[in-house]
Amino acid sequence: MSRTLAEHLELPPAPRRDEPADLGSLLEQVRDSAVRIARDLGHRPDVVRVSAGAVSVEVRWSAAAAPPAAVPVPVAEVVAVPAEVGPVVTAPAVGVFHPAPEPGAAPFVAVGDLVRPGTQVGIVEAMKLMMPVTAEVTGRVAAVLKRDGEPVEYGEPLFTLLPADRAAA
Amino acid sequence: MITKVLIANRGEIALRVARTCRELGIGVVAVHSSEDDGSAVTAVADETVRIGPGPAKRSYLNIPAVVEAALRTGADAVHPGYGFLSEDADFAEVCRDSGLTFIGPDPEVIARLGDKSAARRLMTSVGLPLLPGSVHPLRSVSDARAVADDIGYPVIIKAAVGGGGRGMTVVADPAAFDPAYRRSRATAQALFGDSRVFVERYLPSARHVEVQVLADRYGTVVDLGARDCTVQRRHQKLVEESPAPRLSPELTREITGAAVRGARAAGYTGAGTVEFLVAPDGTFSFMEVNCRIQVEHPVTEMVTGIDLVREQLLVAAGRPLSLDPAGVPARGVAIECRINVEDPDRDFAPTPGLLEEFVPSGGPFVRVDTHGYAGYRVPASYDPLLAKVVVWAPDRDQAVARMDRALAEFRVRGRGMTTTAGFLRRVLRHPDFRAARHDTTLVDRVLAAAGPPSDPPPLHPSPLDPSPLHPSPLDPPRS
Repeated sequence: MSRTLAEHLELPPAPRRDEPADLGSLLEQVRDSAVRIARDLGHRPDVVRVSAGAVSVEVRWSAAAAPPAAVPVPVAEVVAVPAEVGPVVTAPAVGVFHPAPEPGAAPFVAVGDLVRPGTQVGIVEAMKLMMPVTAEVTGRVAAVLKRDGEPVEYGEPLFTLLPADRAAA
Repeated sequence: MITKVLIANRGEIALRVARTCRELGIGVVAVHSSEDDGSAVTAVADETVRIGPGPAKRSYLNIPAVVEAALRTGADAVHPGYGFLSEDADFAEVCRDSGLTFIGPDPEVIARLGDKSAARRLMTSVGLPLLPGSVHPLRSVSDARAVADDIGYPVIIKAAVGGGGRGMTVVADPAAFDPAYRRSRATAQALFGDSRVFVERYLPSARHVEVQVLADRYGTVVDLGARDCTVQRRHQKLVEESPAPRLSPELTREITGAAVRGARAAGYTGAGTVEFLVAPDGTFSFMEVNCRIQVEHPVTEMVTGIDLVREQLLVAAGRPLSLDPAGVPARGVAIECRINVEDPDRDFAPTPGLLEEFVPSGGPFVRVDTHGYAGYRVPASYDPLLAKVVVWAPDRDQAVARMDRALAEFRVRGRGMTTTAGFLRRVLRHPDFRAARHDTTLVDRVLAAAGPPSDPPPLHPSPLDPSPLHPSPLDPPRS
């Protein structure tokens, strides 16, 4: 299936200037994500477009091939699927997730931001105890999986990252 | 009013509490660590919350995580089980402050009884006999040595806030006292976060007798009889039974009466256990109060017919006890054996692993409390208790024979896994246990007498073998 899919895979646009120079491994990751998305869909898509810089995934399939459940999936949720692929930042404790240091403030990180080990990306609050959520690896934020105030369990994915080249980071 | 209970525990006790909640029509929230994903209690719970990683410090001992889970799921009460946070006064207080009913005594009572020096002072004030020893925390090693010299050796040094049989050191020789004292303080600090210790006389040969009490919020305190927990290894109980065998009715009454008096003096509510040591001469001494449901509570349930967890829930919900304070009738004899995943031939080293085969005992008057199942991986992070086999019979001989039968049919198989079942059968067959003449040295004597590996009886003897335990009532009478 992956070969067939690769034929349909449109290459990501040229990277921004601060993108990792070594695109090979990144492309591999992106392709793996796409393959996984395709597998999750359960049928062959007509087009899968993946862009690494601004992070967007587009899947297109013909109406005839679509199973009844395959209503168009919002892009953001499709992005959430590769949570199991790239690195994820998980909740360090059970509690309530906050993406920003305080209500109304700007979030710690946004999609596309570069994070390094130790970068704070959020807060999990349990009983007025604020536990910082920090990245453990270097990467670029691919998706924020939880909304402000959403309850999370220990180990639940909060962010997905796209691995960044360590030398560049 | 209790409609939904969060069970702040794991393993067999979490499942056992969940079952009674079900029977009462109360909702169940199971919290678990990532090591316990898919554990037995999560399968029967209405809701589950993963509160942390494997290490208990970050999950089952993590107060904010547990309370957060309770508030989020709308639980109105928290059952702490045994171990973990069950006797943590801070936890009980945080529950109360968060509007959650803690199923156990008030935090003030837990704090007072959890400090063993304070508990000893309280109990002696209402006339309970104590072993000679310190009732105030010791201020220095010379202070402690003076107490030890005064009461005479051997002495035992115990952590003031310890529990579960840990943090105790027996000192037989005055020359060994100072280093043992320092070591005990360090251990107490490491285990319980409190370095205070106290000293009391050590009885090398004694029986461990404890009394189950229930108390409601209206001053009614009832005893549910005594349990004998004399079969211990390194202060860990292995076999428990009720009633306490070979204890005269007068002495039993004295001890249960003392327990009720102590519980009342402490302002106790809910289910609790008052522990005593009985010396060979029949004198008894107060040891401690356990502010929780005990591992061995089923033997009391089997002889009284009372579901202790149900009573805990009713008392916590503010109901008065419906039991007769003049005496709860008990019938027959119940014995419990703790099946641990441990290797008795390798100094009881834990043997966690994947249960490839798991067939608990069954049959008449056998109860098995376990969270095990075939395909379950026993994690290495927690205690090795896998199952409690409990039997009932009209008399002790029949109960012992029934337990031997039940242990023989319990099948546990997994790569590298062994259990204590075979070893416990050797203990049960010891003439001293059979005659109820045993004391706390029994396990060491059975271990010392252990011959080659072929010596213990096979785990699965042929069902056609005659029972080696005692003459059958079907045998023709001997001339």
